[in-house]
Amino acid sequence: MILKIAWRNIWRNRRRTLITAASIFFAVFFSIFATSMNRGIFDKMIDDSVQSYMGYIQLHQKGYWEDRILDNAFEYRNELQVQLQKPESVKAVVPRLESMAMASFGKQTKNVAVTGISPDAENQLTKLKSRLVAGQYLDANEQAILIGEGLAKKLKVSLGDSVILLSQGYRGVNAAQIYPIKGILSFGKPELSAAMVYLPLQTAQYYYGADRLVTSLVIDIEHRKEAPKVIQSLAHTIDTTNTYELLAWQQLIPDIMELKSTKEASNSVVIFILYFIVGFGIFGTILMMTKERTYEFGVLLSIGMKRQQLAFSVWIESLLLGIIGAIIGIIIAYALTYYLMINPIVMQGDMAEAYIKFGMDPIMPASTDLDIFWTQALIVLSITTLLALYPCITIWRMKPVEAMRA
Amino acid sequence: MKNILLVVAIGLLFPLLAFSQTGKEIVTKMNDNAYGGKLYSAMKMTIVRPKWTRSMTLKSWSDGQDYSLILITGPAREKGITYLKRKREMWNFQPSISRTIKMPPSMMSQSWMGSDFKNDDLVRQSSIVDDYSHQLVGKETIEGLECYKVELIPNPEAPVVWGKVILWIDTQNHIQLKAEQYDEDIELVQTMLGQNIKKMDGRTLATKQTLIPADKKGHQTVMEYTEMDFGTAITDSFFSTQNMKRVR
Repeated sequence: MILKIAWRNIWRNRRRTLITAASIFFAVFFSIFATSMNRGIFDKMIDDSVQSYMGYIQLHQKGYWEDRILDNAFEYRNELQVQLQKPESVKAVVPRLESMAMASFGKQTKNVAVTGISPDAENQLTKLKSRLVAGQYLDANEQAILIGEGLAKKLKVSLGDSVILLSQGYRGVNAAQIYPIKGILSFGKPELSAAMVYLPLQTAQYYYGADRLVTSLVIDIEHRKEAPKVIQSLAHTIDTTNTYELLAWQQLIPDIMELKSTKEASNSVVIFILYFIVGFGIFGTILMMTKERTYEFGVLLSIGMKRQQLAFSVWIESLLLGIIGAIIGIIIAYALTYYLMINPIVMQGDMAEAYIKFGMDPIMPASTDLDIFWTQALIVLSITTLLALYPCITIWRMKPVEAMRA
Repeated sequence: MKNILLVVAIGLLFPLLAFSQTGKEIVTKMNDNAYGGKLYSAMKMTIVRPKWTRSMTLKSWSDGQDYSLILITGPAREKGITYLKRKREMWNFQPSISRTIKMPPSMMSQSWMGSDFKNDDLVRQSSIVDDYSHQLVGKETIEGLECYKVELIPNPEAPVVWGKVILWIDTQNHIQLKAEQYDEDIELVQTMLGQNIKKMDGRTLATKQTLIPADKKGHQTVMEYTEMDFGTAITDSFFSTQNMKRVR
């Protein structure tokens, strides 16, 4: 009954209702859109970086991530492999031996990041094979290397040339070998392109005098949301207090995570200001409505309507306004973001080039994570609920006689 | 009268002058004893780390402080690697890639063969005799041996990396038993200990040298001489980049 009255009441003054609902709609729509684009772009950045190298979970010897040196490598035993593959969502465990070296050809010498990989497993994880721009992919156990395009340019080498790698191996042993270039890889990020050298795991282990050792195991899982669960279940069987460390993707890419939280913070300031302004707009409408209807309220009270009934009905009216605005906002925003998720904005010109340079596709996808939508709806509802308390208080304090004279 | 006084004064001072040595003389004697002339030696180097130790054997030929050639003889993985020093330059021969590399300045501060020695320590271009001013500051006893304690401050223009060096040199045989090397802020960087004093090929020497870096707990590098020959017949052409590949 009260709901019906409230519904009829808000349509008594159509224009006022539409203006209020429109401003709420605008606030909801804009904040959903901004949050969704931001989330979508960062999700993509995270996925790119995680899928191109890091993986969602990594296992190291305790202390390796703090001090990434070869002496912190560990033996990759069969028991460990079996234990790591136990959780259901673990797709694969990919071993790596990572260190530094000096690569030299002719008179050119460059510092490089050397990664010993198990070629097939690595390809399944990072699709390394698809990055080949020349030559062929590595076979397990062979004496050959793949290098980044940028590095090839700097060393002035091409396919088939042999590069000298000089370094210090495990526990300071001497490491010097010469390897032919079997393939050249293209990376988006220039710092990867100019530094990456891949060789088969066993070759790398021999080169660094690190027989059977690895520095990290990438644990590949179905979806990143499963990372905490997998880590938790692995922590039961693997000694994470003294021997190993298990890191989730958030810890593996702290720079991106930091950028994301900074951007989210600045976004929420903008959204806060937006809601603040819209909040005043809604309050203005409510204030006007209260003043206009003071006589009406007085009459209703004096003919015997209960104060709480009247207050409730007015409160519901404001709430309905909020709900209408929010629902329209959500529907339209969802439609738009869904469209943008499937057909992301493709950037053009300089901006696109800048993105490519940083190793990202020049697109801006949106995110349709549901929590973005209900968070915004909740914010709008709480604002209107709070503001709607004003007419309620007025009605509560109202003296019907004075109200009717006013 | 005046002459008598002068004679007396000289007579009193003379014994002091005759029996005490200046810091410079002490260091010169130590240096000649340890590094003078042509020398062939074989050694074992042990790298000690908190969790592991690793040993390798090497042969070294040197002529004074300017020329030296070092050959790694074991373990198998590193056998045949040679280092050549000619005055201020250093080369490295790697048999696994059959290449000779002239070591760039950027590599000089890096560890030599994974030890606590730096490449720099091997090419040390400064002379402990000529590039420092020496002051005898007292006598101390180390492991039962009486030592001169000499403080060395580098000369203003000298190519020296240390801010100060303190040496403990045994009074009898002029053997360096201990050395402390300080940086420009006079903070201790590393300590060198000379132990196992033995007579080898006619000279009395500390046959075990231990290098202890000050800032790394549990790290040290020990060099033990197993063979020494002060009469080795090597010519100048021995210290050549061609010979790096041939020497055995």
